[in-house]
Amino acid sequence: MVGSPILFVAVPLLAAFLIPLLGFIWKELVRIVPGIVLLYLLILSVSLYSQVLQEGTIVEQIGGWAPPWGINLVFSPFTGLLTTLMLFLAFIIWMYSYRFKNVDFEPSKKYFILLLMLVTGSIGIVLTGDIFNQFVFIEIMSISGYALTAFYTGRDSAEASFKYLLMGSLSSMFLLLAIILIYSQLGTLNMADIASKAHLMRPEFRVLALVFFIVGMGIEAEIFPLNGWAPDAYSQAPGPIGAAFSGIVVKAGIYSIIRVTFTLFDVEGSMQFLVLMGMITLVVAEMAAIKQNKIKRMLAYSSIGQMGLVLVAFGIGTEEGVFAALFLMVNHALIKPLLFLSGSYLVFNSTEKSIRELSGLGKYLPLTSFLFALGAIAIVGMPPLSGFWAKWSMLSAAANSDMILVIGLVLMVSIVEIVYYFRVVNRIYFFKKEEDVEPKKPTLNAMVSMIVLGVLIVAIGFYPDLITSYLHEASESLMDKGKYIQDVLSAG
Amino acid sequence: MEQTNFDISIVEYGFFVSAILVILVGLYGALVKKSLIKIVIGLSILESGVNLLLITIGYIQGGTAPVFSPQLLKDMPLTLENIRNLGNGMVDPVPQALVLTAIVIGFGVTAVALSLVIRLYRHHHTLVIDEIKNLKW
Repeated sequence: MVGSPILFVAVPLLAAFLIPLLGFIWKELVRIVPGIVLLYLLILSVSLYSQVLQEGTIVEQIGGWAPPWGINLVFSPFTGLLTTLMLFLAFIIWMYSYRFKNVDFEPSKKYFILLLMLVTGSIGIVLTGDIFNQFVFIEIMSISGYALTAFYTGRDSAEASFKYLLMGSLSSMFLLLAIILIYSQLGTLNMADIASKAHLMRPEFRVLALVFFIVGMGIEAEIFPLNGWAPDAYSQAPGPIGAAFSGIVVKAGIYSIIRVTFTLFDVEGSMQFLVLMGMITLVVAEMAAIKQNKIKRMLAYSSIGQMGLVLVAFGIGTEEGVFAALFLMVNHALIKPLLFLSGSYLVFNSTEKSIRELSGLGKYLPLTSFLFALGAIAIVGMPPLSGFWAKWSMLSAAANSDMILVIGLVLMVSIVEIVYYFRVVNRIYFFKKEEDVEPKKPTLNAMVSMIVLGVLIVAIGFYPDLITSYLHEASESLMDKGKYIQDVLSAG
Repeated sequence: MEQTNFDISIVEYGFFVSAILVILVGLYGALVKKSLIKIVIGLSILESGVNLLLITIGYIQGGTAPVFSPQLLKDMPLTLENIRNLGNGMVDPVPQALVLTAIVIGFGVTAVALSLVIRLYRHHHTLVIDEIKNLKW
C-alpha cells in the first residue's frame, strides 16, 4: 500500500490553506508548492492505479465507519483513470501558469489556492461513494470556479462569474432536492447502498430523482439547456482556467451523471434520454460555434459539443459505447486544454480576443501555431491523431447498436467542426498579419507543457494501444454494477 | 386515536407545503427579479426552503433529541427492544447534519455572490440586470 485515496482530497486542501502561510516564509513558495503537491499526487495516483488494476478496487472508509453509514472513497479502475487524468492535467496547467502574465504575489497566491481547491473538488466528486459528500465536493469545485472566472478585474469577468454562480447555485439546489428525495425514500446516502436498494423506490420517484440529478449535474457537464454559462466563463477566465474547466471540471460533471445513470438508478429509457440530450447538445453547440468570432467562445462551444458527443457514446449503453465514451473523454481532456493553452498565447496581447487577430501568426509564433493546428486537426478526428481513434470507436459502437441516425448526425456535425476549426488554422497560416497585433512568445514552462500535450496526442494517435487496455478495464469497471456494490459494501 | 393521527399528518403536511412554498418564492425571486441584490436574496430564500424540506424529512411529531442520555436509560433494562423503542421516538439526526453542511455552503455561495455584485456595481454603476449586457445573456 503506497498511500490511501484520502490523500487526494486531504493533501491539496491542506496545501491550499497553507499557501498564504508559506508565502510569509518565501514568496516563491506560493508558486512552487502547488506544483510539488500536484506532482506528488500524480505519482501516487499512477502507482495506486497500477495496484488497483492488479489487486482490485480500493475502498477507503473515512473515520473507520463501515460503508452504509460512513463516507467512503472508491478508487476503482474507472475512478482511478479519471483521477490520474485530472491530476495530470492539473500538473500541466500548473506548469503552464507558473509564470503566466507575470502576475504579482497577491493574485498568484489566490490563483493557486483556488486552482488547488478546484482540483480537490473535482477529484472528490470522482472518488467519493456518498451522494451528499459528492454535493459538498461539487460546491467546493463550483465556488472556486466562480472565483476563478472572476479572476481578472479588468474584463467583464464579474458578469460571466455571476451568471455561472446563478445557474450553478440554482442547479445545486436541484441536486440537494434529489438527495432529499432519495434519503426520504431509502434512508441511505451511500451510492452502493442506494444502487442495491433502488428497486424499492417508487418508479415515479426514481425518475424524478434522476431528473433532478441530471439538472443538478448537467450544469457542470454542459448539457444543452444548462450550458449558458460556459462560453462566457471560458472567455472571461484566465486562459489556463479555461483549460482547467474543459479538462477537469467538465469531466467531473460527466462522471457524476454517468455514475447516477449507470450505477444508481436503472430507469427505463434513461440511455435513450442521454443519447437525445447528447445529440441536441452536440448539434446546437456546433451550430453556435461556427458563428463565433472570438476564439475562446468558439473553443467553449466546441467543448460543449464534444461533451454532447461523450454523452451520446455513453448513451449507446453497450460496453463498446462506454469504451468509446471514455476514449473521447481522455482525448478531449488532452486536446481541448492544448487548444486553450496555445490559443491564449496566440491572443495574448489583444483586447478583443477575436479570430481575426490570429491572422498570419504562423510566421511569428511557429511552434505555438503548430501546436494549435495539431490540436485542431486532432479534435475534428483526422487520422493519424488520437481524435480519429476516439471518433472511430464511437462510430463503430453506434453501428453495432444499429443507431444509423446517430452516425449520420455525428458525421454531419464533424463537417461543421472541420469548417470552423480549419477556418482558424487557415487564418493563422495563410492570412496577412493584422498590424496592431503584437505576438507574444510563450515562456519556456508554458512551451514545455504544451509540447507534452502535443506529444501525447501524436503518440496516442500512432499507438492507440498505449491507453486502450486501461480504457477497457475502466469501462468494464463502470458497467459492472454488481461488483461495485459488492466491493463497497463488503469492505470493512 | 384517529383524531391524533389526523393532527400529526396535518402538521407534517403543513411543513412540507410551507417548505415547498418557500422554495417557490425563492425560485421566483432568483428567476424573475431584475435587481442583482434581489436575485441573491432569492437564492438565499431558495436555500432556506430546501433546508427546511430536508429537516422535515427527519422530523417526528413530539420526537426527542437523538441522544441516549443516562436519564433516558435510567429506569429501563438495556434490552435491544427498549433501545429500539427509544430510537423510534427520536428525530433522524442525519438530515440535521446535512442541513448544517448545506447552510455553511449556502453562506459561502451568498458571500461570493455579494462580492460579485459589488464588483458589478463598481463596473457598471447599476444593479439592474438588463443594463449589464456586455456578454450575451
